[in-house]
Order: sequence, then structure tokens, then C-alpha cells
Amino acid sequence: METVTLTIDGRPVTVDKGKTVLQAAIESGISVPYYCYHPGLGVDGSCRVCIVKIEKMPKLQTSCSTTCADGMVVTTRDEDVVKARAGIFEFLLVNHPLDCPVCDKGGECPLQDFSYAFGPAESRMDFPRRVFDGEGVKADVDFGPTLMLNRNRCILCTRCVRFMREVEGDAQIGIVDRGNGSEIATFREEGVHSLLSGNLMDVCPVGAITTRDYRFKSRPWDNPNVVDTICTRCSKGCSTSAWLKAKPEWARGSQLIRMTPRYNPAVNDYWMCDIGRFGYHWIEGEQRLRRPMVRRGSALESCAWHDVLPKVREQIQQAGTADPSSVRFLVSAHAATEELFVLRQTIDGLMGADARGSVSLTWARSEKTQPAGTRFVVPATDAPNVRGAHDLGFAVGAGHDGAPDLGALRAAVEGGRVRVLYVIDPGPDGSLGDVAWVAAARRAGTLPFLVVQGVVRHDLVEAADVVLPGATSTEKDALYTNDQGMVQPSSRAILPPGEAQEDWRILVSVARALGLSLSYDSSDAVRVALAAAMPGTAYAGAGAVTFSRPIPSRNWLQASNPSERWKWDFMFQDLPPVKGHSVQMEGVPVKDIIPLKPTQA
Amino acid sequence: MSFHPHMEYAPARFHKSERVLADDGETFAYTPERQQAFDEVVTRYPADRRKSAVLFALYLVQQQQGYVSGASMRFVASQIGCSTADVEDVATYYTMFYRHPVGTYVLNVCRTLSCALLGAERVVEQISAALGIKPGETDPSGMFTLIEVECLGACDRAPVVMVNDDWHERLAPEQVPAFLDGLRTRGAAALTGCHLHVEEK
Ligand code: SF4
Ligand code: SF4
Ligand code: FES
Ligand code: FES
Repeated sequence: METVTLTIDGRPVTVDKGKTVLQAAIESGISVPYYCYHPGLGVDGSCRVCIVKIEKMPKLQTSCSTTCADGMVVTTRDEDVVKARAGIFEFLLVNHPLDCPVCDKGGECPLQDFSYAFGPAESRMDFPRRVFDGEGVKADVDFGPTLMLNRNRCILCTRCVRFMREVEGDAQIGIVDRGNGSEIATFREEGVHSLLSGNLMDVCPVGAITTRDYRFKSRPWDNPNVVDTICTRCSKGCSTSAWLKAKPEWARGSQLIRMTPRYNPAVNDYWMCDIGRFGYHWIEGEQRLRRPMVRRGSALESCAWHDVLPKVREQIQQAGTADPSSVRFLVSAHAATEELFVLRQTIDGLMGADARGSVSLTWARSEKTQPAGTRFVVPATDAPNVRGAHDLGFAVGAGHDGAPDLGALRAAVEGGRVRVLYVIDPGPDGSLGDVAWVAAARRAGTLPFLVVQGVVRHDLVEAADVVLPGATSTEKDALYTNDQGMVQPSSRAILPPGEAQEDWRILVSVARALGLSLSYDSSDAVRVALAAAMPGTAYAGAGAVTFSRPIPSRNWLQASNPSERWKWDFMFQDLPPVKGHSVQMEGVPVKDIIPLKPTQA
Repeated sequence: MSFHPHMEYAPARFHKSERVLADDGETFAYTPERQQAFDEVVTRYPADRRKSAVLFALYLVQQQQGYVSGASMRFVASQIGCSTADVEDVATYYTMFYRHPVGTYVLNVCRTLSCALLGAERVVEQISAALGIKPGETDPSGMFTLIEVECLGACDRAPVVMVNDDWHERLAPEQVPAFLDGLRTRGAAALTGCHLHVEEK
């Protein structure tokens, strides 16, 4: 790649050719504020706060729209730049309500941070502010099924407009009216209807667009922990961050409070879809399975792990001795690679590798309605690990972009040739696809024994003889292989509820009850064995994969997690004096940084 | 199928936007001649710049039904191949696209400096009094709509009123009743606009 070298604030900076001055400044850690620039969207040059002085150019230039050239001399801290920039900030705040205390963005708002660092301490505006739709939070109006819009806070950066046009593919947002009356709006106030709508909350640099799901639920400083996870709602496998909100002192512990995308240029860029973003409530929902259960008559009753395992062993052994092919497994492609690997070892150990056909993989599929030109396509396969199961040697029907093939299993079950069916399903309700026939066969008695190792109480659980509570993807360290074949680690953010256990652990217990000598004591050990068993594949490095841990941060949320840190450095930037350190503020006494007004003596 | 979980937030506590929308109007389609005109004009734009024809498309709408309705914006979007929000963006930006039905004669009274100095405010007052309407309104007979606008570029002949697309110049406040009567009886022929004079000469 060709590079160019320029000087910014007296520092030589070398960047790839084609980068803008703003990108060069950000890369080299020089604070230049920006609103309309977003690394994932096209350049707009409308907010003007990124202005810098470039030698030999007649006026101050917007750094986001100026391409770097060799020998350019750029200054970001000259008096005239500082003054002009402060003037722009003053204009940006002319109509802004500054209702940060009741604004959802408060605490993670670039308008707060940048205005504080670069804006004037006071406004000279004498006239009342322009008001749309009412004052305060009354101005929060309906903006489609997932979002709310507060036009008073909008600074007209057009990031939302460009996101819809460039990424989503259907330009549903426009700017209506003109001049002082300009406002962000959808056609006839119809609202935003998009599978990617949640990203608008991320791109909006102020609290104008908020999600109904998260608004008023937490504040950034109440979410001290962020964990790197992988979204498991489809085969794309977006990198995500799971945010944990600290519960109040008396309640202890933490709660999953939101999901946001984590930058990953190979998979999801800066985005994620609404299915993954908003579909996490079930994880800590009422329907979760917390204790093992066995059937007594028509009801399922809780019982202890050490009582339930012998029952499973007994049934599998009886059926297995009579006819090995009468023990079958129905596994959701939500099962992580570790779990599939332990299952494979169990089957190989008990019945030989030829018996791997006793495992049928299943998943749900739904075609998503998206505009033809979208740059973010959400796949139809609603499971994260079809590819992983295939890599481990299990038959997966038509593969990760087709439908599962359960024909043979269904014929065997309905023909009464299956005596024990062991279902593994760590996904949300519906992730097994259409399996009503299993419950029907069990109820009719054609299927004598049904084990469900699952996480939510759904229809199949109601028909089961034994229920083993497992863990969802946010409750275990696990690997998933997405549709591109990338093996991705998803870290544990919270613990499984009640007595539920991580699925690999349950499978190891079952294998041991059946007489196999598997001795894994952690999921790391499973991954080491997996790596050893599959040299020369994408899994060869599985043993050395690292997982992120929630790191409690007393000081500032960005310190808690390297990937969030990245976002703040590159997208919002660390700014003085909030974060403590900055070149611009070196040696300046605190009282000069924080504009304290003298009190009357 | 909706992928969105149900997420209403205390629906009684938030409201719909108070933005004033264009009238939705009746289902709209161009007359055959206008459709032909549109089809001809879009060919003058490069295929990837088809969107630039949106202004022309909206002019045709206003010509046909006097104002730009919600239904007609949908129609224009389908003709241009852009989103409805794009059309509303343009239609609301330009003040000379009306979003509600207007009278036969739209009286655009200039209120910028030269006209103001020569009594534009009193012209507006007189018209308001004569028709019983405020700026922005249409009189009950449906003949006149009164609008205040900024400089019309004919400052040397202030105060100026633009009636639909033509000028009427040097309209002294006291001439207003005669001016309105002239429009009622003689239509556009009653106007003094310079281009009309030029045509006459
Ligand atoms: S709503 Fe937010 S993203 Fe959209 S223009 Fe306003 S400030 Fe920018
Ligand atoms: S596209 Fe798939 S992986 Fe990405 S957020 Fe949506 S459901 Fe999750
Ligand atoms: S003008 Fe450069 S970031 Fe907005
Ligand atoms: S000021 Fe009225 S036409 Fe210019």
C-alpha cells in the first residue's frame, strides 16, 4: 500500500494513501472532534467541527473531507482553529436542549464530550430554543416499532440518513423543511421499519434516536462490565458486546442489559441486526429451565442431578443393548463446537465412528425481508454453528444455507424404531425448527423415551421424560463457526441460572455415567483436545483461544474492555478532561479545565 | 413476519409527532400528456441520476392538481425509483410546492426590505381585511390564497405581489380592492408584471 507523510501539529504522520486528514489525526491519537464523519459511512462534511488549518490553503478546511497529501502541514490547535471551532460548537448548541440528565445518551455522548472539550463555556444566545413536538422528554415521539426520536436534540449530522441510504438500502429517513426548521423525519411520520433499525441508535451522536428497548433502563456508568460475545441468532455470527448492568447493592450480581455490535471488518463491520440486538430477553426470562426434571405421571418434577443421570443411563443402556440404532440424537445447530466434540467422542467411544449418523442436526430458517440493495444481509439460517457441526463430521443436510434434513429420523421415530431420543438445544424457543412431530410421537407412545437437554421450557420440554437444564451462548465460553467458516470465540458474560450447567459438562457427565472415561474439567480442556484431534484445520488453534472476562471498572466504562475501548478511541475518542489525560491539557490546572464559576462570597 | 419483539414503552406517555403533514389527497396518477412529458424529460438525465428529475416531476404534479399531496409524493417516488422520504425531503424544502390545496390565485406578497419600505405590510393587511383571511389561508370562495414571501427580485418596482407565476408591480395598499376585483373579473390579464408588458409591446 502506498503511503503519504504529512505533519499534524508538528508531528510527522504516515498513513495509507487515500485517507483523510481526520482519519490520519485519529490514527495518530490527535484529538479532532467530529460528528458527521463515521468510519462506516460516506463523507458528508456538514457538521464543520472537524476544521483544521492546512498550510497553503486559503481557509480552514474540514479535515473529514480533505485527503492527505505528501508534505501537508496541518495544525489543529492554532488560535484561529480553536476560536472557529468553538464558534461552531456554539451554533450546534443554539437549539440543543442540553437535557443530558434525562437523555439516554448522557455519559456516552460525543456532543457532551466534544462540547466540553472544544466548545465555549457559555452560550450567548438570547432567543428561546426552537422546539419540535414539545419540551423535554415529551419531545420523544414514535419513530417506528423499535425507536423513539427526539428532534430537539438532533444536530442534523445526517448519519442516520446515510446509514439508511448506504447500508440499509432503503432511504426511509430524510430531512424535511429547511433552514432553522429542518428536522429528521420519515415519510408522513410512518417511522423506520427495518431489520437494522437498532444501528441508528449507535450512529446517532446525540440522544435524538434511542431504542425503545434500552431507553431509561440504565446509564453507562451503571453498566460496568462488557463482554465480547458472538451473536448466535443466525449463521452470520456477528461480533457483539454484551453489556451487564450492576444490580443495586442489596440485590448483588448483574443483569444483561443490552447488546451492541463490536467492530469486525470480516463479518459485520460496525453493525448488527435487530434480531440479535433486541432478542436477548429470553436469556434471563421466566421460561428458563433452572433445575433438572423427571416425569412423574403427567407432570414434570424437579429433581437433583445425581438422581436424574442414572435414569438417562438406564434407558440408553437398555435401548442400546437391544438395538444400538434405537438411540438417536436430535441436536440443534445452536450447540457449540465443544459440545459437538464431546458428543462425537461419546458416540465414537460407545458405538464407534460409524454411528455418527445417529446424530441429526436441526435448525430453524426464516427468509428475512430486506431491501434489494442492502449492504448487510442477514442469512436465512437461524443458528450459529451448522458449519461447525459439518466440520466435526456430522451430516447437516443441505448445509448452512439450506434446510435441515430430518426425514430419516422422522420416519424412524414415527415407525417406532427409536426407543430413546436425546435432544440437545441450547437455543431460544423455536431453534429446533418444526419438531412438533417429536412431541406427538412421544405423546402417542411411539417414542418411548425422550430426553431434552435445553434452556427454555417449550413444547418439546413438556413432552419429555427427562429434562436437563443447559446454558445459553452468553453463559459459557464457546466456539461457533459461522457461514464463512470462521471459528469465533464467544465469552461467558453471566452464569447459567439455578442449577443449570454448561452443556459440555452435562454431556461429559452423561458419557461418564455410561462408562466412558472422559476427564475434562473445563471447557478449555475440551478445546485443547479438540485442537489435538483436528490438526491442520481451522480448529488447530482452538486450545489457545482467549476469552474476554468482565472486568469491573470503578472509574470509567471504557477502561473495562479492550474492544469497547477501541470504539471509544476510534469512534468517539477519549477526550479531556473526562478521561484525565490529554496533550492539550498538559500542565493546565484543573480549575482552568473545568469551567467553575466563582460563587458569591 | 415481524422480527421485532414487542417493545411498547408506556404508550400513553409518548405521543405522535406534531409535524404538519401534507394532505394525503386522492390516489394520484399523471394525465397521459403529463406522463408523456415526464417520460421524455427523464431521458435527459443519466440513468444513475434519475433522481434529479424529482423537481420536474413535482412541478407536473402541482400543475395537475394545484398542490403536492401525500399520495402524489408516493406516485412520484414510484416514477423516479427513489424512496418516498426522498420525495418528501424535496417537496418540503421548496416553499413553492404547496402541500395543501390552494385557491385559484396564490397571492405571494413580498415582505423583504424594498417592498417593506414601500408598504408591503399594509398591502398584506388590506388583502387580509378584504378577504377575511390571514397569511397562509385561503378565502372561503376558494379564489385566493395569501402567502408572505421573501424578495422576488423586482425590488425596483416594489411593492411586488406574485400571482401564481406572474408579477404584479407597484401595488399601493390603497389599490388592493381594485387589484382583487381585477383578478376576479379579468384574471391574469389584470396583472402589471413587466414580462406581460414586454409581450404586449
Ligand atoms: S437524528 Fe441523530 S444521526 Fe440523525 S441527523 Fe440527527 S443527530 Fe444525526
Ligand atoms: S445478522 Fe445474524 S449474527 Fe448478526 S446480529 Fe443478526 S442474527 Fe445476530
Ligand atoms: S464536517 Fe467533518 S466531521 Fe462533520
Ligand atoms: S424586496 Fe420585494 S422584490 Fe425585492
